[in-house]
Amino acid sequence: MTRSLLLTVTAALILTSCRHAGQHQAARPAPDTAIAGRLTIEREKYYFKVTVSQPWQNSSGIEQVWYLVPRDSIIPAGISEDHTIRIPVRKMICMSTTHIAMMRALGADSLIAGISGSSLIYDSIVREGLRKGTIRDVGYEGSLNKELVVSLEPDLMMAYGVADPSTGNTSRLSGTGVKVFYNADYLEEHPLSRCEWIRLFGLLTGREEKADSIFRSVSGAYRELAARVREDATSRPKVLLGAPWEDVWYVSPSDSYIGRLIEDAGGHYIYSDMTGPNSVPYSVESVFRRAAEADLWINPGAAESLSEIAAGDPRLASLPLFREGKVWNNRRRVTETGGNDYWESAVVRPDMLLRDLVSIIHPELMPGYDQFYYRMLE
Amino acid sequence: MAGLFLLMLILFMADMLTGSTQMAAPDVLKALFGSGPAGDEIIVMQFRLPKALTAILAGAAMSVSGLLMQTLFRNPLAGPDVMGVSSGAGLGVALTLLTLTPLFTLAEGSILSGWGVILAAWAGAGAVMIIIMAVSVRMRDIMTVLIVGMLLASAISAVVSLMQYFSNEVMLRTYVIWTMGNLGNISYPQIRALALATAAGLAIAFTMVKPLNAILMGETFSRTVGVRMQRTRIVLLASASILAGSVTAFCGPLAFIGVAVPHIARLLFGTSDHRILMPATALAGAVILLLSDIISALPGGGHIIPVNTVTSLIGIPVVLWIILGKTGLGRRF
Repeated sequence: MTRSLLLTVTAALILTSCRHAGQHQAARPAPDTAIAGRLTIEREKYYFKVTVSQPWQNSSGIEQVWYLVPRDSIIPAGISEDHTIRIPVRKMICMSTTHIAMMRALGADSLIAGISGSSLIYDSIVREGLRKGTIRDVGYEGSLNKELVVSLEPDLMMAYGVADPSTGNTSRLSGTGVKVFYNADYLEEHPLSRCEWIRLFGLLTGREEKADSIFRSVSGAYRELAARVREDATSRPKVLLGAPWEDVWYVSPSDSYIGRLIEDAGGHYIYSDMTGPNSVPYSVESVFRRAAEADLWINPGAAESLSEIAAGDPRLASLPLFREGKVWNNRRRVTETGGNDYWESAVVRPDMLLRDLVSIIHPELMPGYDQFYYRMLE
Repeated sequence: MAGLFLLMLILFMADMLTGSTQMAAPDVLKALFGSGPAGDEIIVMQFRLPKALTAILAGAAMSVSGLLMQTLFRNPLAGPDVMGVSSGAGLGVALTLLTLTPLFTLAEGSILSGWGVILAAWAGAGAVMIIIMAVSVRMRDIMTVLIVGMLLASAISAVVSLMQYFSNEVMLRTYVIWTMGNLGNISYPQIRALALATAAGLAIAFTMVKPLNAILMGETFSRTVGVRMQRTRIVLLASASILAGSVTAFCGPLAFIGVAVPHIARLLFGTSDHRILMPATALAGAVILLLSDIISALPGGGHIIPVNTVTSLIGIPVVLWIILGKTGLGRRF
């Protein structure tokens, strides 16, 4: 009873705020317009229009449009019910850990009814829900349990498409009444654009103000720190990134998520000359050549210690940075089954991620700082 | 034969001189003899030399294994994988990578080509070898053994598919990269182990030259000249499995080398006599894999293409040639 009352009040609030916004659009401070991401939110009189451009990899020119209409409003003429989501949503399936992190940051985790890949989840509340059975694991792609998805009766399934989803298993859900939203946060190259997706979750869950305020304070802190580093750092240490798979080293482009973070943290990524949308396979031999001149190494795969790296590929142990022990992985916060908070809450807190990286690359700027996501290997 | 040996040496040097990064020939030589800068020395001694040595060992071992299988089964399209040895090794690797997830809970890249994967592959190949031998002891007809081997290989592939189906993207990618074959991430202790296994397998194979020649004349003939068929089969299966299983364990399932190279050797020397064919196949295998490795670094700019795509592109035309019967090689069985 109280719950439904609360929902009605929230819905009413949203409705009124929509009306206001429609009239005084300019009066409301835009959260952060400096970063053009794949998500566009337009405020119309009685609804929100959400556009996701390039919703999956290699999807240039493709746009998906959703209309977020408050529950007690009539769907405006000319808008298809299929592309409408009634807000606030009451039950949601979150296919990615990043979605979970955003729901959690907004205090909306009680709306999560289903997730995907329970072993890879870090959040303790969601794991508790899985154990108690209040949250279910619906599987993924080939093993997606479509009957379970339908039986959970979610208002929305927040999914992500690695490739064109019409070829995948998730598309079979069309016709079952389950609305599938393809979230492209993981494709955002700028850490702040990735974080900005929290605004979508804010609209969906009736927590718009909170989402905007989180995003504003995070992007403010991020920009402030990046500016401080630009001013105060006197050097740009060279950074090696990633790890080999057998004899192949997939090199991330410099304009990738982590590439930007390294740059903003005052580091010089050794593949700063490489740009593009995808990682590119290089031979270990060629990466090794550049790595010989690097000052430090971050994200060396799953390795938990220097000796593990040396056991996997003894050649890497001869790198100068390895001998100096300047190797950090992003596995400070992990669960026994493989959940890593780096892939979860860090998406909402790029400012903290940046702080970690600044303290690694420029320890002189942050004396005594204890990293949150990163850990130095021993 | 001497020419083939010389060609192998030349390609060995060429493989050392070419790599995915630029290095001038004098610098390579300096590094090889320990008088170059430390960076160059690591590239040559830790990257290029082990890779070239592995190419020679793996090329020779896979090819001879294929030759033994072709003669034993008297089938020109037989190869090391017909008995499921490669599949068995793949199952071992899949079990380690795809199911023992807590040991390899990876987020992105993984460093795992240590001994764990190698031992698992070895165990898988060994298990299949034992099953095939057990069948071989009971069955008189060699074709039955062939069919059992192929069925076993299919069944194992199905099990691996099932594991792939239930595994996550990262494990899947790791496994797929393993199946693409790889000569480049083998340490010296591992090369020593591979060399020992190859030497053992080849030594056994070379003692079987006479029975192999007899098999080509038919089983009845073999018996009349005193070849004990059951014993010969077991020894041949053991040798072929040790060779193919070890290579697969260290380098992943190398495609086509085992099927194609024996035919190349037959073409080159125009004979079915194993006294010539055996060393010729071993040398030709080393030559082809060295060549494949050189080609795999050809794109330049630090990129490489998986060695299996190169061997397949060399191997497929050869196999086509055989199927089209142009050389009439099939009639030699």
